[in-house]
Amino acid sequence: MTTFHTASFKDRDAQVVIKNNEVYRLIYDSYKEPYEKLMQSGLYEMLISKKMLIPHIETENFEPVYKTLKPQKVFVSYPYEWCFSELKDAALLTLEIQKLALEYGMSLKDANAYNVQFFEGKPIFIDTSSFEIYEETKPWCAYRQFCMQFLAPLAVMAYKDERLVSLLETNLDGLPLDIASKLLPKSSWLNLKLLSHVHLHALAQKNYSGCHKKIEVKFSKFQMEALLNDLTECIKNIKLPKSKTEWGNYYNETNYSDESFEQKRKIVNVFGEKINPETVVDFGANNGAFSRLFKEKSKLIVSADIDFSAVEQNYAITKKEKETNILPLVLDLCNPSASVGWANEERSSFFERIKDSELVLALALVHHLAIGRNVPFSKIAKLFSSAGKNLIVEYVDKKDSQVEKLLSNRKDIFDDYSIENFEKSFGGFFDIVEKRHIDNTFRTIYLMRRKEK
Amino acid sequence: MSKNIFKYSFIFFIPIFLLPQQAFAYLDPGTGSMIIQTLIAVFGSIGYAGILFRKKIKSFFERFRKTK
Repeated sequence: MTTFHTASFKDRDAQVVIKNNEVYRLIYDSYKEPYEKLMQSGLYEMLISKKMLIPHIETENFEPVYKTLKPQKVFVSYPYEWCFSELKDAALLTLEIQKLALEYGMSLKDANAYNVQFFEGKPIFIDTSSFEIYEETKPWCAYRQFCMQFLAPLAVMAYKDERLVSLLETNLDGLPLDIASKLLPKSSWLNLKLLSHVHLHALAQKNYSGCHKKIEVKFSKFQMEALLNDLTECIKNIKLPKSKTEWGNYYNETNYSDESFEQKRKIVNVFGEKINPETVVDFGANNGAFSRLFKEKSKLIVSADIDFSAVEQNYAITKKEKETNILPLVLDLCNPSASVGWANEERSSFFERIKDSELVLALALVHHLAIGRNVPFSKIAKLFSSAGKNLIVEYVDKKDSQVEKLLSNRKDIFDDYSIENFEKSFGGFFDIVEKRHIDNTFRTIYLMRRKEK
Repeated sequence: MSKNIFKYSFIFFIPIFLLPQQAFAYLDPGTGSMIIQTLIAVFGSIGYAGILFRKKIKSFFERFRKTK
């Protein structure tokens, strides 16, 4: 059975469909000319060689269309789950592709951040049907979209707070420029590039919002290159201030010795080898120290944390070490990305995308959820069981100084927080395969297997 | 503050009427984006031409140094 992808309905030239769990891109007759130009001009090969565009193979048509493409499968993440540098790299990739496309007589007809995904450690463009034949004299039709999807969120994250990237979840077309302009500090008006691309852009939009007149505009290729150069410089110059958070240095600030930390690594490694998982989702991954234990064993490790600085650090490590299978993402487990967009299904929820991973890793996390966020053990266990078939989880006792810290300024209402209750609640969803205590600590690591119904 | 800036930004918008060649384009509610994009490109072209010129000069001297 063929079903249309829930996010693929805006383009009239091509559509993404799912058939037998495989993703295909149907190219309609209306897109024949641009598609042929993409494939025959050398642009496709060049972008593939630079690993900037997702490769595809042409397969037999199972619908009456011009071509059926089968692209390389990727794990889908969304801009509101990315840290600042991930969004910035995605923006620079989009601009670079547009510059290269111009050299081959083509242009991007949209600059949607959702057209970029992370594959083998790098951002990659996944929308093969986004290229149109470039007509000199035309301005870049995707300019406004680029500013809303990339430039404005990056500026707001850098000038105000990285957490404001969450505005993209409620504004799927990108951050409205008038909102960005209001959010940015007055000092940003002194930045010529932000002044023009955000503030004056927002004012111009407002001023011309009722205008439906035909006007005559000439936009040369040189001017297009100048615009792209200006946008590139603007994006490159938007930088995050160096700031530390409570969790950013977590692994340097543990309350146990190096020996205990090493023992914890060994236990997780031994448990991991018993599973040999192809897919891992690491909740509360911090900078990905434990995610990296699986980088030789697994195809994909989704390394998620609530803390932006930790995710930023994690992404910096993946880039530095050229790691191809670790994907750092921002995730608040108490409010994970929901199904949003048209009919509440255009962008799927985080748990829909990671469900049935082979291994869930939840180290030094349960006490934060149970005590820090008042979530009962049974609810935590249920959530973890929806994410994966196996679980490596750490129980941290109340005697541990990290838990004492959590309870230091509040009334201890957590009489049910005990290792017995932990095992009983998790036992409702998992079979406990093995457990090992970390010497000289109040911590125990469990290997569990999901109970299949 | 923003109102004042926009009030006097007409100077910034003047070149739109001085563009030498013209082509037709239907303008939708994104008219403002088209206009601002054109203006940025017009002004940006000057700086961009400078960058390209500087690169050419640099590569010329580098070539000259290599042949020496």
